[in-house]
Amino acid sequence: MIAPALNPALHPAALAFAGRHQPRVWEPIVWILALVFYFAFPNHLGFGTELLITILFALSLDLVLGYAGIVTLGHAAFFGVGAYTVGMLAYHGFWNEPISSLMLAAIVAALVGLGSGLVLLRTQGLTLLMLSLCTMALLEEAANLGHEYTGGFDGLASLPIPKLLGLFEFNPLYPRTQYVYVLTVLFISFLFIRTVVYSPFGQSLTGIRENTLRMHAVGSPVRARLVTCYTISAAIAGIAGGLWAQANAYVNLTTLGLDRAAMVLIVLILGGCGRMYGAFVGAVAYMVLAHFLAKLYPTAWQLGLGFLLVVIALFARNGILGIGEALLRRFRAKRMPR
Amino acid sequence: MTACLLETNALGRSFGALAAVSGVEFRLDAGARHALIGPNGAGKTTFINLLSGVLQPTLGRVVLKGRDITGIPEARRVKLGIARTFQINRLFRGLTVLENVYIAVSERVGAAADMFRPAGARGDVIREAMHLLAMLKLEDDAGRRVSELPYGRQRLVEIAVALGLKPEVLLLDEPAAGVPSAESHIILDAVGRLSKDIGVLIIEHDMDVVFRFAERITVMVGGRIFAEGTPKEIAADPEIRAVYLGQHSHV
Ligand SMILES: Nc1ncnc2c1ncn2[C@@H]1O[C@H](COP(=O)(O)OP(=O)(O)OP(=O)(O)O)[C@@H](O)[C@H]1O
Ligand SMILES: [Mg+2]
Repeated sequence: MIAPALNPALHPAALAFAGRHQPRVWEPIVWILALVFYFAFPNHLGFGTELLITILFALSLDLVLGYAGIVTLGHAAFFGVGAYTVGMLAYHGFWNEPISSLMLAAIVAALVGLGSGLVLLRTQGLTLLMLSLCTMALLEEAANLGHEYTGGFDGLASLPIPKLLGLFEFNPLYPRTQYVYVLTVLFISFLFIRTVVYSPFGQSLTGIRENTLRMHAVGSPVRARLVTCYTISAAIAGIAGGLWAQANAYVNLTTLGLDRAAMVLIVLILGGCGRMYGAFVGAVAYMVLAHFLAKLYPTAWQLGLGFLLVVIALFARNGILGIGEALLRRFRAKRMPR
Repeated sequence: MTACLLETNALGRSFGALAAVSGVEFRLDAGARHALIGPNGAGKTTFINLLSGVLQPTLGRVVLKGRDITGIPEARRVKLGIARTFQINRLFRGLTVLENVYIAVSERVGAAADMFRPAGARGDVIREAMHLLAMLKLEDDAGRRVSELPYGRQRLVEIAVALGLKPEVLLLDEPAAGVPSAESHIILDAVGRLSKDIGVLIIEHDMDVVFRFAERITVMVGGRIFAEGTPKEIAADPEIRAVYLGQHSHV
């Protein structure tokens, strides 16, 4: 029935799909900008480091929320677990070598993600939202009460973080090492997330997001997929938290509170969910806005962010990147009529 | 002579006091073209939900090739060869047509758990998905989002996704429902061209289609099997004409 000359596998849509994981021309720009920042703003590397950590954290959330469609309000739980893993091991003198500490943070956060995911992901919607919130609240309370180990409300300060690779000092006043270190970890993590997102596994996550019921009907082990995704995401959030503890040389309860969970959600929604680069755009927009709004209106700056979020939720469901994509489509449609 | 593929014994499902399906003895043969007809609310969709595992029965058994699959969940039944379409589209609306079929095919061939290779590198999966789309004349919509397609085309995607599972048993729940009659023939042609290796059970309201397509017809009324036979037998049965076919005087 099909003429061999018109092989459907060579159809433009098939070819586009086959090559969709290839890097776009503009993708290196993001990383070049991050390097330019290092040289252009040597006095703002603390801000830059914080920004990069936020991006990594938002990326981990994008995997569960943007790709798999798991609506969670408790993602800071994993950030906090990562931060406290690094902090407690270093503070109590067990282990503080930066890179292996980070891996331990990832493993512990992944285990917490796996354990809570096995329970949470049996539920959906509002129940899942509340349970994720409860999990985080429980961990926060545990960190608060166990002050012998966690430092309680004050947290653990002056963590002894040794030189990176025995060469580069983590100087809190001039965080050059932190910036480059965090940027490197972000880049590696990003490559990993990008691979997962464009894999058949990543595609099946989008299927679960779009129609969970149909995924059952195509024979997909939905819950196993979700738990796997949640565990990976938790590990990455744990790395982000571990980096935060190392970069600041302290941990405290802010690492696993609702404020941080809400912040990362706002960042992602602002930038655009399910797009990977939404995390970058959202984090930059959020942190820059928060920075300037806080200077302008020291007491009420969060009001401005709240207002922006309302505008985004009402008029631009796909965030800043979504606006950009829509403009680009319109521009292309004008240039190529028909 | 033909082998029995899927069969039910005393299958029943109640919703509270309502027995939506009860005491159904049914058999689908390999390669069958079998139609299930009956008035609205007769329990046809519920019956397909029981066969595909979307619902658990309150009574009775479902047997696939001699194996009791009553307790087996939906996703695992797919692996055993049962696929279905839905009366109301259940598609990945925000994804492209190709992605929709890719997801089904990749689950079937076991590619979907792979997270370290690009989806685009699975040329076998893409090729198979595109061939299915070509068969259903959907290839020119391959790159479009399902939500952008007219409803009739979406119904075709619904079938393409099920065919991507290479089923032995295909359950079609009113595949042409909601499609303007000018377009419904495209869908029914596609159904007519399905491979003879598949046993097909189709729920359909259009009697012309039923009599053209089916080699066997089961009539369901009030959750029970009211009659079963060849199209000739069903058409000749005066009781069925009275109960169900009354409004189709041209039969
Ligand atoms: N999940 C459910 N909960 C309660 N009642 C249900 C449920 N599903 C179906 N029913 C009821 O069971 C009966 C049979 O419904 P079903 O959808 O199987 O009919 P049908 O033959 O497919 O009808 P139609 O031709 O309208 O699609 C109806 O009375 C319906 O209201
Ligand atoms: Mg029905």
